[in-house]
Amino acid sequence: MSVDTASLFFALLALACLTAVLAVLGGFAVWLIGGRPAALASLRVDLGRVAIPLAWIVATVATLGSLYFSEIADFVPCTLCWYQRICMYPLVIVLGVAALRRDRDVRFYAGPLAAVGALVATYHSWIQAYPPDGGTSFCTLDAPCTERYVWEFGFVSLPLMALSGFLFVITMMVLARPAHLRRTIEIESEREPFIERELVEEKA
Amino acid sequence: MSNRPNRRTPASVRVAEAQAQSRSRTLWIVVGVAVVVVLALVIAIALTRNEEESAEGGGASPSGGTIVPSGDVSEGSVAVTGADLPPLTSGATSDPAVGETIPTVAGESFDGSSISIGPDGQPKVVLILAHWCPHCQAEVPRIQAWLDANGMPDDVELVAIATGTTSSRPNFPPGEWLREEGWSVPTLVDDAAGTAGAAFGLSSFPFFVVTDGSGQVVYRISGELDEAQWEALIEAARTGTAPGGGESGESSPAS
Repeated sequence: MSVDTASLFFALLALACLTAVLAVLGGFAVWLIGGRPAALASLRVDLGRVAIPLAWIVATVATLGSLYFSEIADFVPCTLCWYQRICMYPLVIVLGVAALRRDRDVRFYAGPLAAVGALVATYHSWIQAYPPDGGTSFCTLDAPCTERYVWEFGFVSLPLMALSGFLFVITMMVLARPAHLRRTIEIESEREPFIERELVEEKA
Repeated sequence: MSNRPNRRTPASVRVAEAQAQSRSRTLWIVVGVAVVVVLALVIAIALTRNEEESAEGGGASPSGGTIVPSGDVSEGSVAVTGADLPPLTSGATSDPAVGETIPTVAGESFDGSSISIGPDGQPKVVLILAHWCPHCQAEVPRIQAWLDANGMPDDVELVAIATGTTSSRPNFPPGEWLREEGWSVPTLVDDAAGTAGAAFGLSSFPFFVVTDGSGQVVYRISGELDEAQWEALIEAARTGTAPGGGESGESSPAS
């Protein structure tokens, strides 16, 4: 696989992550505005069940991608890249263990890690998209954070990929919160007292 | 299933159905993730398969020049005759190189043909570029668009130096990058030590040196230039006087 192919591959995955994040946000908006449809409630429950494994997959792919670019493509990671790596790599272990143990409390540990990573990645994406005009001093050999190793579709850089991954993990950590299905269903069951109450009781 | 139609299905059955539905939805999520990954891989391979052929050089450019010739020599031997210009230091109020005569820098282009920059009677603008520098990546198409629209100036010689070349940094090799941009400015390839860049007092990228006909430095500047600033550089070479007060502060040589 050539570096071009790998770059495009990871860029597409990043866009898929961003799309998923937007879809969840969209679903949440529909949930708030559209009178809390029961279909979304159960989808929310199902997503919550797979949220941690999904987040683990994304963190793992992001880590492998990062290692591919530094170890195989020989791109030298800059300082900001390192800070993002510090946030991304531990997620593989933390989320992996949590996925095996079905420990939804992991969101309290993985969430902040991903949030810090997302902040750094946001700043890094910004300066890659709009290199700050430092006049004579910026494009020197020792300030390579603005180097665009990857620039797909005119906007997807390596930090933007990292940002997509972090945002996806954050979204999944929010969804990993044990679903307030009970409350949801109670609201629903005022209208439709039969079906779901039993489902909840069965599960509880 | 119940055969008593006026009674509801037993709760346990409905719960089991709901759980089965939920399990199948979980399965669909997993399948969906797998499909996205495979799809991304297929698209990536399909789209990049045909990109292996690199851009061809040597053709005529709309500016009247020749697109940087084919060949991907990334480092050439460079011989400097004369004293190096002092570096352009940021923060200094005046450029110590102004009025000095540029050295003669002889080297080769991307295809190995020889090229030389020196005091040869022709006013010049020398552009020094690094393939990995995003400001250079932004500046090159801007200048090329200007050249394509206005043609190569016939009274001012434009010449570029590709330096800072490192295979592990992005956008390598520089020859391919410049060909893709349709770059029509004759370009000298620096050596690994950056001898040619140092000869002009290179401090950061992109770097511009303006000389008059006698080879004396009129003006030096680094950083991205907009179209008006670029035209001012050519005018400075033509007239032998540094761009005057009408220039924006952020790209003044002292910035």
